[in-house]
Amino acid sequence: MIDPDPSSDDICDETGDVQLTGFRLLRRDRSSSGGLACWIALPDRIDPAIAPLVAVHGIHRDARTQATLFGHRVAEQGRVVIAPLFRYRHWRGYQQVYGKRRADHGLLALLDELGATLPIDMSRFDLFGYSGGAQFAHRFAFAYPHRIVELHLLAAGWYSFPDDEPYPYGLGLPVSPIPGFSPLLKASLGHFLSLPIRVYVGEQDNVVDEHVRSGAAIDRQQGLHRLERGRRWVNALCELAQARGLDPDISFQLLPDSGHDFKTCVERGGLIDAMMRTRSALLHV
Amino acid sequence: MTIDHLSENLTLPDSAKWAFTTRRVDRRDVLRISRAIHLAESGDLVLAQVESIGSHGKLQLACGRPSELYPGDLIVVACGARYASDQFEGVAEIRRDGADLLASGGVVGTLRQRHAAMKMPTRLRPLGLLLDQDSRVINLARYAMACPVEGRPPVVIGVVGSSMNAGKTSAVAALVHGLRRAGWRVAGIKATGTGAYGDFNAYEDAGAQTVLDFTDAGLVSTYLQPLPRLEEVLCSLLSAAAAARAEVAVVEFADGVLQRETAGLLAMPDVRGLFSGFLFAAQDSLSALGGCVALARLDIVPIALTGLIARSPLSLSEAEQATGQVVMSREALRDPAQAGVLMNVMRQPIRVGSAA
Repeated sequence: MIDPDPSSDDICDETGDVQLTGFRLLRRDRSSSGGLACWIALPDRIDPAIAPLVAVHGIHRDARTQATLFGHRVAEQGRVVIAPLFRYRHWRGYQQVYGKRRADHGLLALLDELGATLPIDMSRFDLFGYSGGAQFAHRFAFAYPHRIVELHLLAAGWYSFPDDEPYPYGLGLPVSPIPGFSPLLKASLGHFLSLPIRVYVGEQDNVVDEHVRSGAAIDRQQGLHRLERGRRWVNALCELAQARGLDPDISFQLLPDSGHDFKTCVERGGLIDAMMRTRSALLHV
Repeated sequence: MTIDHLSENLTLPDSAKWAFTTRRVDRRDVLRISRAIHLAESGDLVLAQVESIGSHGKLQLACGRPSELYPGDLIVVACGARYASDQFEGVAEIRRDGADLLASGGVVGTLRQRHAAMKMPTRLRPLGLLLDQDSRVINLARYAMACPVEGRPPVVIGVVGSSMNAGKTSAVAALVHGLRRAGWRVAGIKATGTGAYGDFNAYEDAGAQTVLDFTDAGLVSTYLQPLPRLEEVLCSLLSAAAAARAEVAVVEFADGVLQRETAGLLAMPDVRGLFSGFLFAAQDSLSALGGCVALARLDIVPIALTGLIARSPLSLSEAEQATGQVVMSREALRDPAQAGVLMNVMRQPIRVGSAA
């Protein structure tokens, strides 16, 4: 998959805080050359007992929209939303997490910094990812399941399957060495499989567009489009969990009247309602 | 032990250098001295004067820095034994005519044998055993930390190796750092060995929230100590780590898996049962294979190999092929993702058997 034009960074180049109903929308610049910027939806009244939501953008890098739409829905609960910004210039392959520039290190450092400056506990959080962000989120969760309360993935283009295909297609040894990849990854999955994992795909997101990585091998392994791939990945996780004697809390959900657009998935598909339903009650950490 | 007939009042000069091994001692307790130095036992505090400088030219101070030693210096150290295959073997005995500085952490005893590359130890003139106001000999055991309620961190990772200088401490420090970056609360623990601040400081520098060693449990050295006592020490260190809310303890065993106390502890099912898994540090591929065979006899399969072997791609490849184990370099252990994955493997307690 090819990232879009770098000019897409400009969507987040506005500065200044904005007061919205129930929360302030803040932009936080990166603190170092290797650091991450982010958008934060900071409720007027923060409940420090509620796990924050970390929402990772897709390759159009519209972190602000994610922070805003989630902020509108969860600010009244006192919940903080953090939408990191993996700028194209520095984080071109952030979806795959590992590599020369480590997207996981970037997010960990950002969370450490925010934990030191905001009145919230960043040790555990809900992790959401959309499209390329969903790719990042599930790969991040493989190594750091202890940091995650719930994992929500919207319409990843493709996944790392829990099989022996070379990483990042599966969890087997990569074809060539990838910095950060552990050969013990597959053996470590027990706690990842015990996470509540929700995969959402718009019911019309069943087309092969230019952003869907395609080819004979990946199509055979994962399916043709996002809808089929999400369903297959969930099935694969559930089968593996059950084979290990676990009782998985992993599910797939179609979003009505939606395709691949994030805003549409929220406004017509009921994405955030679906995420909230996952929490039968607000989960305090 | 109380020594009345040979004791006298003592005012220690401020210039006396207190060794790292004495760091838990309340110095106000030291009020008398006994010349009956031949009665010294392991852990007893000894006042000595430096006679001649040998292999250890510096003393590790209680405050955590090294101090250059000069003939004539007064030092406060602890009587103890030492087992260090690359340096000395010594016992916790002190003769009136002199004693040896067996370790720069502040261990005084009598040299039994040394590595061919080592100079003779720094020679000391023992001045006496330090006593309290009731003429009781002051032993480090008096200052052992209060043992909290029983317990241990949810994950306990053992790091053992093929020998001294196989890369165990570097591996522990690297893993502590990686786990800390991944978001875990980590304790670094030295379970066996000789009192010294090198490993202690390495764990702390790596980011361990809690750092403990056997001196915190009242031992100056674990060499020649009874195994039940060492098991008790290990359990108390793990309890202290749990009380400090550590989520994972990384525990280093000194020397190689064939060393007397390390081998003895690992042979105890109750001790093995304390651990979620082990890393094995090796210097080369053959010692990696031999270590895995030795551990297999104890029903231990290391989760991964590490140590100096990881610096040589060819040796690493040989070891992985010969043992079927993954070799993790120091850089890999420092990486939060790889440390996190290792942690997740350890959290699945299926690797350590319970051989009778």
